[in-house]
Amino acid sequence: MANAVMGYKQSSFPTKLAAISGIALLIFIILPFVFGDFQLSLMSKLLLFGSLGISLDLVWGFTGILSFAHGVFFTLGGYASAYYLKLNLSADSNTYGGELPDFMVWNGLETLPWFIAPLKYFPVALVATVAVPALFAYILGYFIFRSKVSGVYITIITLAISSALTTFFVSQQAYTGGTNGITDVSKLSFLGSPIPPIGLYFIILAFTVFVLALSWWLTQSNLGLILRSINENEKRIAFLGYDVAQFKIFIWTLSAALAGMAGGLFVPLNQFISPVYLAVAFGTQVVIWVAIGGRGTLVGPLLAAILLGQVQNYAEKVTQDWQLVIGILLLVVVLFIPNGLMSLLPKQLSLANLSKPKVLQTSDAVKN
Amino acid sequence: MEAVLSVKETKMDGKMESVLSVKDLNVVFSGFKALSGVSLDVYDGEIVTIIGPNGAGKSTLLDAIVSKSPVFSGHIYYHGKDITNNSPHAIARMGIGRKFQNPNVYNELTVFDNILLALKGTHGILASIAAKLTKAKKGKIFDVLSRTGLVDQAFEQVSSLSHGQKQWVEIAMVLAQDPSIVLLDEPTAGMTADETYMTGEIIKSISKSHSVVVIEHDMEFVKQIAERIVVLHQGKVLAEGSVEEVQSNPKVIEVYLGHETIKAAA
Ligand SMILES: Nc1ncnc2c1ncn2[C@@H]1O[C@H](COP(=O)(O)OP(=O)(O)O)[C@@H](O)[C@H]1O
Ligand SMILES: [Mg+2]
Repeated sequence: MANAVMGYKQSSFPTKLAAISGIALLIFIILPFVFGDFQLSLMSKLLLFGSLGISLDLVWGFTGILSFAHGVFFTLGGYASAYYLKLNLSADSNTYGGELPDFMVWNGLETLPWFIAPLKYFPVALVATVAVPALFAYILGYFIFRSKVSGVYITIITLAISSALTTFFVSQQAYTGGTNGITDVSKLSFLGSPIPPIGLYFIILAFTVFVLALSWWLTQSNLGLILRSINENEKRIAFLGYDVAQFKIFIWTLSAALAGMAGGLFVPLNQFISPVYLAVAFGTQVVIWVAIGGRGTLVGPLLAAILLGQVQNYAEKVTQDWQLVIGILLLVVVLFIPNGLMSLLPKQLSLANLSKPKVLQTSDAVKN
Repeated sequence: MEAVLSVKETKMDGKMESVLSVKDLNVVFSGFKALSGVSLDVYDGEIVTIIGPNGAGKSTLLDAIVSKSPVFSGHIYYHGKDITNNSPHAIARMGIGRKFQNPNVYNELTVFDNILLALKGTHGILASIAAKLTKAKKGKIFDVLSRTGLVDQAFEQVSSLSHGQKQWVEIAMVLAQDPSIVLLDEPTAGMTADETYMTGEIIKSISKSHSVVVIEHDMEFVKQIAERIVVLHQGKVLAEGSVEEVQSNPKVIEVYLGHETIKAAA
């Protein structure tokens, strides 16, 4: 007994996994020097999509809340970033000169709306890319999770939110640029000079590592255990003294903040944002990355976003029916690998398994 | 035996403050009165056994106490504080632990993690992120595991355990909560005779430091553990007293007439 207690080790990062993570990171550091411009920008985009997938994995994979609204959080961050870049176009590169964005001029606005004006300043915009989606998610989450809404109804609400916001952004042309969104934005600059694509790639890579590390750290703590328990049976855990709604609101809001940051970085890369990313179709893509990669695996959604993005890229070149190719691929994975791509890898390599390390590392110690 | 009886008498006189006090409780499910006018006091360190036919409202009484089912009217006091219809997590944190009728455990987690989850103390978000698995915590977890005979299964996934072992996992979870009152709903269902006996001994040891309310069918088992018995029937308290008193009560005999369990007991 005493030995069993002594032999028990807290979870730690196994050396094998540390080595693999190191090699993977090294590859991602070397790749941009090998890539052409197109691949560099594609990979930057896919890393952001992967981060978005990881953020959804926290709420869906771990906590069991299926959300189609993660595209919305992403896009809200994206608009905050787009206003900043648009308002920082030098006067002469703005279509009509002056500081008012072109789409506002077209739609008859004469002055910059007060709620958009502060986004001209970098610190404000930086905070807004995180705070706007987080606050929106918090308010939404507060009402959803404090009320008795559950299961599939939450998912339906996220679908409705996605549709409603798409319609709203399309209709508010003067403020949002309507269907076209916000285009022709300035490049993101650092100390007055535009950041080159490779610089942007490394910023995005650092962000991806941050999202992955933060998510791993959180999910291997007791919080991860609580989230998984909420997923398996949320009624039971309340009788152990946990305020389930509080935990759901927390992870939901945090997840939205991460999604918003990804959206904030997406605009300097993509050079525009539009309601396309608010729509259910994009929200569904995020769900697909998590499903294909493997729920509750963190790395899975990232890999799936990169793989699917690359497959789409090549399929587009080879055939006009690339969507059919992607569709068949999805079907194959869903039918034959229901637990996602990560389930094909040996267990020790999964971050999700790391968050249940107690089984792996200690059973021997205890049996002695 | 004498000493025990005299302690009980003091309790009955109301000189001691009750840990849990249910007053004139009514629970209604869409017009159906599952509990009508139930009153019950539980005192420090005693074991109260609730018996009664299926559908009598035994589980519903525990459900009302932990706020799983809403109270229509009446009150529940815990150490004198009105906790009627408080949120389940608040009630659990105050010190009321519940084991459900069907083992309500986390099948996808290990036994150890189930207990860790139940452990008293870390219920906030930040606390749960910062929580360290200290020696003291491990010691506490292995303590409840050894009390419930689960040390060898500590790192097995709960889904791989037998029904009886799952019952113990849930009892261990309740112990880890370290509540001042333990509510056990049919803890021996699905257990062998030996397992049932062992569970009785566990319950007796729990009662040294906790008040215990047990719902039970098996009269052998009731005799093993019982101090005070409450008989529920059709949502009402039918009788209350020692095993002998309850068994010789004409009303109880009538209700149980032809019923297997009381025959075995008689
Ligand atoms: N949540 C509920 N909704 C509706 N009816 C319920 C609910 N819980 C219990 N009941 C009903 O209340 C009565 C008492 O049930 P229960 O307390 O489970 O009985 P016991 O535990 O004594 O066998 C039964 O008729 C049962 O169908
Ligand atoms: Mg019952």
